[in-house]
Amino acid sequence: MSAQKVQAVATDGWQRGGAQAVRRRIVERLVNVLCAIATVVVLFLLFSILWTLVTRGAAGLSLATFVHSTAAPGSGGGLANAIIGSCEQTLLAALLGTPIGMLTGIYLSEFSHDGKIVSFVRFVSDMMLSVPSILVGLFVYLVVVEPAGHFSGIAGTLALAILFIPIVVRTTEDMLHLVPRAMREAAYALGAPGWRVIVSICLRAARGGIMTGILLALARISGETAPLLFTSLGNLNWSTNLNAPMASLPVTIYQYAGSAYDDWVQMAWTGALLITVAVLATNIFARWWLSRNGTASS
Amino acid sequence: MNTLTMDNRPAPAQSSVPAIAIRNLDFWYGENHALRGISLDFPTRQVTGMIGPSGCGKSTLLRILNRMYDLYPGQRAMGEVLFDGRNILSPGIDVNVLRSRIGMVFQKPTPFPMSIYDNIAFGVRLHERLSRADMDQRVENVLRRVALWGEVKDRLNASAAALSGGQQQRLCIARTIATRPEIILLDEPTSALDPISTARIEELLDELKQEFSIAIVTHNLQQAARCADRVAFFYMGELVEVDTADKMFTAPHEKRTQDYITGRFG
Repeated sequence: MSAQKVQAVATDGWQRGGAQAVRRRIVERLVNVLCAIATVVVLFLLFSILWTLVTRGAAGLSLATFVHSTAAPGSGGGLANAIIGSCEQTLLAALLGTPIGMLTGIYLSEFSHDGKIVSFVRFVSDMMLSVPSILVGLFVYLVVVEPAGHFSGIAGTLALAILFIPIVVRTTEDMLHLVPRAMREAAYALGAPGWRVIVSICLRAARGGIMTGILLALARISGETAPLLFTSLGNLNWSTNLNAPMASLPVTIYQYAGSAYDDWVQMAWTGALLITVAVLATNIFARWWLSRNGTASS
Repeated sequence: MNTLTMDNRPAPAQSSVPAIAIRNLDFWYGENHALRGISLDFPTRQVTGMIGPSGCGKSTLLRILNRMYDLYPGQRAMGEVLFDGRNILSPGIDVNVLRSRIGMVFQKPTPFPMSIYDNIAFGVRLHERLSRADMDQRVENVLRRVALWGEVKDRLNASAAALSGGQQQRLCIARTIATRPEIILLDEPTSALDPISTARIEELLDELKQEFSIAIVTHNLQQAARCADRVAFFYMGELVEVDTADKMFTAPHEKRTQDYITGRFG
């Protein structure tokens, strides 16, 4: 370092760092720009999907979409059977999966002194989170559809529930872990038995987060196609019978989008729009719910 | 002000009979021998202060008195803690009943995620079946007792989380006395509070000791001097000495006590 430079540093404290400070500013600017570009790319993709869906899907949207079942090419029809089938299977899967998932999550979080069992259950549950959904469909095909001899809404519901459960397990456990230890101890210190502490204090503190997890899991399974292909198969007619093949929006989209008929392709776009709007609405509602009911600590 | 009357309560014991008597108590966190050979009496309707540097075992001792350590496997106690004629460490003790008779207030205010009213009713409902009117009465009594009634009487159904830190801590004390314990354990109850809130809690302790036996762990030596009738000094898992607050802070017997209270260590 030359004498002149030492002088400069000594006389003006704001110039400290010199070249290093310049480089730091450049790196900072660069990182900022890269982050901004990545964000724009993601937003662009999302909105272009939405835009395509709205412009193409809205064209086929009418009252008939909701009141008529799927029909042969060229004869109109709607998506009523697919909508009711999706609602039925998704909601039943949620009804089945929520208690199982929550109880498992509670077990993992609150009874974690059985170290080995708990880490095994957690491992299995995390594996289930990442199992390809088509494998779940094939599994249910083997254990339910094949023995029964026919496709059914029950099988579809089971497949969706298998995908639903690990998400709820994970959220329940994570949200319960956020409940401060001091709050649990305070409840025990009043003479509350363990189950009472879990039900009245921990679950209550974590309810916003758990509810959000359930809604997000619901959004996730409502768009699943693969697990339904081998289980509920699809049904061209109106049917709410769980013991028979059942239509669903994702499977209908899958079948129609690949067809050679323009009106079926149009119907696929409309179905895709409906599913996306439903999933988006559920997500937005879940986030609003969480912000209103707060996180575990408040 | 004697709004919370303790009917069905045995006549006050003579001051010579301690509320709790600890005899030869040892405690382990796994392999860590945290308390060694403690023998200590907590006199009835007096405030016993427990002081000592961090890690000396004073909070550990407090958490033995309501068997809080039961929640954590690997923690175990040996010796005798005599309360109302029984050794509370013995396996036959119903810890839920024990904890309703020996209440505890923690370092940080821990309001439950429910209304102010339900925060108090929660503990009461665990042990008693009260009519709505009786419960209202109980809630009002304990809130008056901790000087919180005036501040919250119009919003009993509002979330307890909206209260200030000092109010929350007074709510926690109200919640604890609502189950009508005989003894109250306080684990650094003012260390998260501002000086004004601290002063109000200290005043409250003075009043509560008319009716309850109190054990308080504190890092604040002035607080121990102000609030406690007797002070016990702990160091490295041992009880160094115990005496009246006056004697402890003016003429302690042990050199370690003197070193600590004059700020030479800890």
